[in-house]
Amino acid sequence: MKQIANFIVNGKACELAIEPHMLLVEVLRDELGLTGTKQSCGIGHCGACTVLIDGIPTLSCLTPALTARGKNITTIEGLAEGTRLHPIQKAFIDYGAIQCGYCTPGMILSAKALLDRNPNPSREQVKQALSGNLCRCTGYVKIVDAVLAAAESMGKEASE
Amino acid sequence: MSQKLSVVGKRIIQPDAAAKATGAAMYASDLKMPGMLIGKVLRSPYPHAKIKRIGKSKAEKLPGVEAVITPEDVTQWKPFDRGLKDLPMIAGGYLVPPDEHILNERARHFGDAIAAVAAINEHIAEEALELIEVEYEELPFVIDPEEAMKPGAPQVSDVAEGNIGKHLSYPFPEGDVEKGFKEADCIVEGTFSTTKQEHCTAETAAAVAHLDVNGRINIWSQCQVAHMARREIAHIFNMPVSKVKLMTPLVGGGFGQRGSVCAEPICIALALKTGKPVKLEYTREENFTALESRTGFKYNLKIGFKQDGTLTAMQVYMLGRLGGYMGCGPMASVIGMVFGLGHYRCPNRAGEADMVMTNTPVSGAFRGFGNPAMMWGIEQLVDEAAEKLGMNPLKIRLKNIKKAGEIANMGLRLESTYLDECIKRGAEAIGWKEKWGKKKEGKMRRGVGIATMTHCSGAAPLYLDHSNAFIKLNEDGSADLTVHPAPLGQHIWGALSQIAAEELGILAEDIHIVTGDTDITLFEYGSDASRSTYAIGSATLIAAHQAKEQILERAAKMLGVSPDELEIKERQVYVKANPKKSIPVADVCYDAIYNFKGECLNISGKCSWEGRWNSSPTGAFFAEVEINTETGRVKVIKFVTAIDCGKAINPMTVEGQLEGGMQQGIGYGLTEDYIINKDTGVVESDNYDTYKMPGILDMPETEVVIIDKPDPKGPFGAKGVGEPGMVGVAPAIANAIYDAIGVRIKDLPITPEKVLKALGEKSQ
Amino acid sequence: MARLLKPFEYFEPRTVEEAVQLLSKYGHQAKVLAGGTDLLISMKKRKITPQYVVYIKSIPELDYIHYSQQAGLKIGALATHTAIADSAIIKDKFELLASACGKVGTPQVRNMGTIGGNICEGGPSQDSVPSLLVLEAKLKLISLHGERIVPIDEFFIAPFKTALQEAELLTEIQIPTPPPRSAGCYKWFTKITTVDESLAGVAVLMLLDSTDGICRDLKIGLCSVAPTPIRARRAEQVLRDKKIDNSLIERAARVAVEETSPRSRADYRKRMTGVLVREAISETWQKIRQLHLRERA
Ligand SMILES: Cc1cc2nc3c(=O)[nH]c(=O)nc-3n(C[C@H](O)[C@H](O)[C@H](O)COP(=O)(O)OP(=O)(O)OC[C@H]3O[C@@H](n4cnc5c(N)ncnc54)[C@H](O)[C@@H]3O)c2cc1C
Ligand code: FES
Ligand code: FES
Repeated sequence: MKQIANFIVNGKACELAIEPHMLLVEVLRDELGLTGTKQSCGIGHCGACTVLIDGIPTLSCLTPALTARGKNITTIEGLAEGTRLHPIQKAFIDYGAIQCGYCTPGMILSAKALLDRNPNPSREQVKQALSGNLCRCTGYVKIVDAVLAAAESMGKEASE
Repeated sequence: MSQKLSVVGKRIIQPDAAAKATGAAMYASDLKMPGMLIGKVLRSPYPHAKIKRIGKSKAEKLPGVEAVITPEDVTQWKPFDRGLKDLPMIAGGYLVPPDEHILNERARHFGDAIAAVAAINEHIAEEALELIEVEYEELPFVIDPEEAMKPGAPQVSDVAEGNIGKHLSYPFPEGDVEKGFKEADCIVEGTFSTTKQEHCTAETAAAVAHLDVNGRINIWSQCQVAHMARREIAHIFNMPVSKVKLMTPLVGGGFGQRGSVCAEPICIALALKTGKPVKLEYTREENFTALESRTGFKYNLKIGFKQDGTLTAMQVYMLGRLGGYMGCGPMASVIGMVFGLGHYRCPNRAGEADMVMTNTPVSGAFRGFGNPAMMWGIEQLVDEAAEKLGMNPLKIRLKNIKKAGEIANMGLRLESTYLDECIKRGAEAIGWKEKWGKKKEGKMRRGVGIATMTHCSGAAPLYLDHSNAFIKLNEDGSADLTVHPAPLGQHIWGALSQIAAEELGILAEDIHIVTGDTDITLFEYGSDASRSTYAIGSATLIAAHQAKEQILERAAKMLGVSPDELEIKERQVYVKANPKKSIPVADVCYDAIYNFKGECLNISGKCSWEGRWNSSPTGAFFAEVEINTETGRVKVIKFVTAIDCGKAINPMTVEGQLEGGMQQGIGYGLTEDYIINKDTGVVESDNYDTYKMPGILDMPETEVVIIDKPDPKGPFGAKGVGEPGMVGVAPAIANAIYDAIGVRIKDLPITPEKVLKALGEKSQ
Repeated sequence: MARLLKPFEYFEPRTVEEAVQLLSKYGHQAKVLAGGTDLLISMKKRKITPQYVVYIKSIPELDYIHYSQQAGLKIGALATHTAIADSAIIKDKFELLASACGKVGTPQVRNMGTIGGNICEGGPSQDSVPSLLVLEAKLKLISLHGERIVPIDEFFIAPFKTALQEAELLTEIQIPTPPPRSAGCYKWFTKITTVDESLAGVAVLMLLDSTDGICRDLKIGLCSVAPTPIRARRAEQVLRDKKIDNSLIERAARVAVEETSPRSRADYRKRMTGVLVREAISETWQKIRQLHLRERA
């Protein structure tokens, strides 16, 4: 039976009637039209479905939506402010870190959680933080470069 | 050809990158239409079984189910060849009698499509599948190609007697191998085997189909060869080609897997049955079992050398596993022989291959096609010979690689090659001199290894290499370029924009790419064979050149000079001798469109391109590995790829292709193993818990060296670079392992068990 | 595998009491859901299709990490792997557990997955378990009938079968403070890639007498090499009350190998168990010697 659930998705409150067995990835993609969240393996291994729940990288393919009631959910659609891209998004574009782009939303969100926690990570720390996100196109090299560059530009922005 | 370039060679950002970074990008899996149904496929749990009965009434009665289809419901539609080889696309080649149906009465492999449903949502579709009752009669099955060739083996296909799907020979044999081996002072030989690597595209196969008001099939397809897929679809569904509109959305990875038709036929069948839009998205498990993956080989390779290291003869016999249907697999052997046997200068060459049908998921094309498989053996044997002859692995290669002007690997003239530079610069980057051939001791041992390769730029002369480009200039000097590559993530839109902009003297951002709709685009063979930049780029260059001539002609009139006195730079037409005299491209275009003087013209250019040559990209791969001799674990410490891809249209893209190739190559070499249970025929590695590709922590320090010297034939000197990145990775690792611990692994992937076993045998 | 879940009724109790009431009401048709990183996959694979799902992560009283010298370490069943791996006190005093939880899966899986779920899943390759075995953890299980304490080495019965009874909830993991001058570590090999299921995991906890260099106590816990996680008790005996040296460590490793019974990749797993046991004991021995040196200084 459907239950009413309240979420804060990308800063906006929303109320939805959902079945208990619906996964968060389904609700985001099918009910809310937020198709930036991707599903690739469905078993927790690839990280394509990563969203932030209260700032923490979480796999939406293994999360029944009701369990996220009342929580702050950030998807890739919530990063840019209007047309102003988040520095991580900008760095991914500038550094060629995006090929097919299917892993990109999850990668960027994992990176965001890292930089929010640790604004000045080492290369190794970036790799650790992204180790739950698989990419088949890029060999990860430019992704790491982009995250490090984003950290630097965010640091500069902050000190300005 | 030293041209001053202003757009080509720049690290421009990609037109589609922002949409991908913000989640706005639309893939087939994201599409949604009013009233759209969700399709699902029921697949065989057996490797070989006859469907005796299918009970679909329970599923049909489930509220929300709109169609349940079984093999009997699709008999009005034609069987097909998913590898599209029932089309005349292979030069002087073969046509395969198509024998795969949309749904099959006899399942020929684990995961073969038996029935399908369409329902109002995915939950109901999944439930409906569980309600379909199938009575199977299990049939004897065969997994191994050697077994399949034996008399009395279960017959997989009606069109492949004795399970020989195809016997193929090396198309460019030369000399007399018997004689060549007689002349040899040193003969090396070995049996090598390679795996059925899976593409692991991030997006699974997906398609959306509906019928428009005119009853035309509208299909959103990920197919890398859109126009041929369209023709195949028209053929299957008994329609004229004009009744099929195929659209290509952004694709979440292809790597060759989408070179065949995937989810389209079943999706369209469901749309035709229901009269409603249908989306069919495969699960990860279906991607593993229902789509094509790399063709696995076992082959015997023999190479002869003179005392001074000169090659005298090369010969191979390949045995390939095709699976339950023919797919793209057969040609993998030819590609392997073409590049493998054609790589070095060798007067006597011969090769044969048997491509065998088995009750396993289908084999097909994957980045590099048969080339990585063949290089796996060749590059190891070359090292073996070098050791026997007391030569350095770099020297023996430098001695035998072909030079510009010689006959290249496909009977064509080798226009340019800088493989020698690749070898030298790559060796420097890895620290070859300091590291190779040193005595190794202790538990952890390091070594370095090399492999070299050549590949293609386009499909000519083996396959149809036909591309089209159309460009029109708008009234403000911007341009619309109509082409139809598959946007798989290879940054092709950006590269074509750069080529067009360079020729027109405008900026890359002035080019808008019109694409992805067969109603609008001209015929396009498609995005495979490392050909998009090279072949579609060639068509684009010529089309842009035509448009440029029109601009110059009209500008000449406006400026009162002759066209050859003019040049275009940064959106401005200048008189060469007097740069103060100029006119904006925009003004010329505006005047052409809003002319009012009886000379209206939409400045435009169009080119139908058929590749008649094929510039060979070449590359050298260097691995440094560390081996734990107690556990057998191999860690790649550093990897260097040095590439001769002609002029790099966008160096950032070239690096991206090669870095991605390293990941796939390291996976091919060390971690990726497609496991089929020998007793049950069940695919045991069907998702990322059981099939492991390298993650970010498995990647070594990497370096890409781009030689960046233009080729005389390619557009602005470019050659293909999509596939080469993975071709030499695994053999470079194998050679590095040999350098570290003195054992050779000839059987992919290199698992710790194999390393330990080999170490054990060596110490005995 | 299906991509979606089958329908179920969903409960989100706020107290342990409420949770065990629901569990006892619905019996075997109910399933506890914590982080879901194991359960949801089983449900998608249709290995389990519970009609009632009791989501316990909204019970605030189950998510904690407490420590005192006397009472030892108490971890609420809902503590995530991330919380445990990042906990200063666990890193300091129970490092082998911190590294085991830090090894589990990926960052996302560690953010979601709980130690309670890791234990209750009951598979052969649960990474937190070898460390808990050698630390002699006790599990607090609560049902409507009350509470019982089960030593962890009595908890695992067969693959995916534990002593947890229907309608019982694991609420707390209790770990006594290891004696002074003891040290331990957790070592593992993954199956293929860096982030992967364990092919073999070995936890060691050792107590060494600083005056005579004699090993007063040694415990070895293994996962992924037998139907359930196990203690290698015979191997422990090899070193207990002996003066440690390398050949003795080798022998203990050989004996530990004999105690394993892996099913797949058996030869390799056995061999790797030997390597890991040897490395784990040697590393622990080193650690204790450093400890002693520091104490003396
Ligand atoms: C990609 C991936 C990688 C992984 N890698 C590893 C790894 O390296 N090592 C490893 O050990 N595990 C690994 N796992 C498995 C899993 O993440 C862990 O076992 C995790 O700790 C399970 O916790 P959970 O809270 O998610 O459990 P759930 O999935 O919620 O529950 C698991 C089981 O325990 C029961 N249960 C949970 N909590 C309680 C309780 N308090 N009382 C009674 N019963 C309870 C549930 O009913 C269910 O049967 C991996 C999983 C994934 C998806
Ligand atoms: S889709 Fe969720 S982890 Fe892969
Ligand atoms: S960009 Fe394609 S998977 Fe990462």
